[in-house]
Amino acid sequence: MGKVKIKKKSTLIDMTAMSDVTVLLLTFFMLTSTFLQKEPTIVYTPSSVSEEKVPMNNLVTVLVSCADKSDKLEDPTVTEGKIFISFTGDADSTLSSENIRGMMLDEAVAIYNEQHKNNRIALNDQQKAEFRTTNMIGVPFAALPQVLSMSVSERDKFLGDLTNPMVGIPIDDNKNREGRLNDFQVWLKAIYNVAQRINNEQAEGLSAEERGTLSNLYTALMRKGQGVAIKADKDTPFTTVQQVFDNLQTMKLNKFSLMTALKSENEPTQ
Amino acid sequence: MAQIDTSGGGKKKKGAQKKIAIHVDFTPMVDMNMLLITFFMLCTTMIKSQTLQIVLPTNEDVKKENQNQAKQSEAITLILDTEYNGATPAVDEETGKTIHNIYYYEGIADTTFSTPKYLQKEQFVGNVNHEAQGIRKILLNKNQQVMEEYNKLKEQWKNKEITKEEFQQKAKANASDSLKTRPVVVIKPGPNTTYEGLINAIDEMNINQISRYSIELPTHTDSVLLRHFEQEKGLNIIRPTIRAAKTAAAPAGDEASASNQ
Repeated sequence: MGKVKIKKKSTLIDMTAMSDVTVLLLTFFMLTSTFLQKEPTIVYTPSSVSEEKVPMNNLVTVLVSCADKSDKLEDPTVTEGKIFISFTGDADSTLSSENIRGMMLDEAVAIYNEQHKNNRIALNDQQKAEFRTTNMIGVPFAALPQVLSMSVSERDKFLGDLTNPMVGIPIDDNKNREGRLNDFQVWLKAIYNVAQRINNEQAEGLSAEERGTLSNLYTALMRKGQGVAIKADKDTPFTTVQQVFDNLQTMKLNKFSLMTALKSENEPTQ
Repeated sequence: MAQIDTSGGGKKKKGAQKKIAIHVDFTPMVDMNMLLITFFMLCTTMIKSQTLQIVLPTNEDVKKENQNQAKQSEAITLILDTEYNGATPAVDEETGKTIHNIYYYEGIADTTFSTPKYLQKEQFVGNVNHEAQGIRKILLNKNQQVMEEYNKLKEQWKNKEITKEEFQQKAKANASDSLKTRPVVVIKPGPNTTYEGLINAIDEMNINQISRYSIELPTHTDSVLLRHFEQEKGLNIIRPTIRAAKTAAAPAGDEASASNQ
């Protein structure tokens, strides 16, 4: 009987080439991408033909939540029009996002306490440190100490429940409050004050020409109108967006930008 | 590839060390890389959002004499409205886009309804077959002089006669050239307009190089026009608002001018 000899072949596959490719891909992704910012609600911005990009630095984003689209709520509009604010600082380490947030918080709390002498809020160092690392905040000042004491997952859960009346920065009562600001306006005022202070510090001892080339939050706010960006869903009613506009106008921030997605238009031939 | 070839010479010498092929298995490495790639792909954004710049006037009461009055021949008023299907915006079945209607009139509102053009209905159609349609066509015709110059500039840029910066600068100067007849557009988003409707309207201003436009709330005159129009055409325009206004309506400065300059 002749034996059939089966040649033994190694089943090892050389993975080196594969590894090379994956490392290249990985490098590409790491270099080109920016991380998605954690936001309490997902909004789909409308599209426009504007080609201006959202600035990476020195930006205050105002997120306006939209009506609930999951059909789980009886009244989907209860989740609508909640305001969240996020701050992005400079690439400069002294004016990094964390430091800017710290300055904003101190300023805003000072303004708030001056206005509400009977309901002052006080934050300890730990809560302040927590705020500096939080990207997006959206609670009334009264709830700020409590929310900042929560753990990250607890806070996400808290902010994610948009039906909770304690979520969202209060924005109503724009008028007839005898000079009293609502919470949203307190934040805006704090942003303006801090931006102006930084600008004055930077402009000190500079010639008029050099001042013109300064690029910080203040110049973005006042000259270019890129300091505040409103991010709202395309199905948000105008009345809700109008309210945000109105508050910004009251705080003399008349130049701002609206976040949109890119729309491609086929060109007319004429 | 991943093994180091250590078989040298060919002839085996006595007392030479036994040679072992060093083979590194890269499979776990690939596994790990794949996981990392997946993580990065899921957690990142490649597309950066675009922004639209907007400048609003002060919302303090402006005295009548301090307000800029637009010339009657230049003015055009767009009243925006979004169609609703229950509690959500109605969607066109063909295009999958939300239906936004525009009711517009030129000059001063004709409350005597003497001409049939006291109010006309249009939609955001954009370009069809490379030809401006809908409201874009109307605005384009209104801003003909500016657009002619703009298209010339664009041609120059495409032929690389001028740089992109030069083009943008010249286009901006062209759009605000006071020697040309330019329209003044008043955008009035009705209570049922969605944010997308407003953005579409501002977008049309940018596309048609209209530098003078303002955003205001509809006035009583506008509702009179709409009411008459809906009765005449048998439409249903004035509907109860989907969202009750959460604040008292902001003061509707009749001609408080805003421009994006």
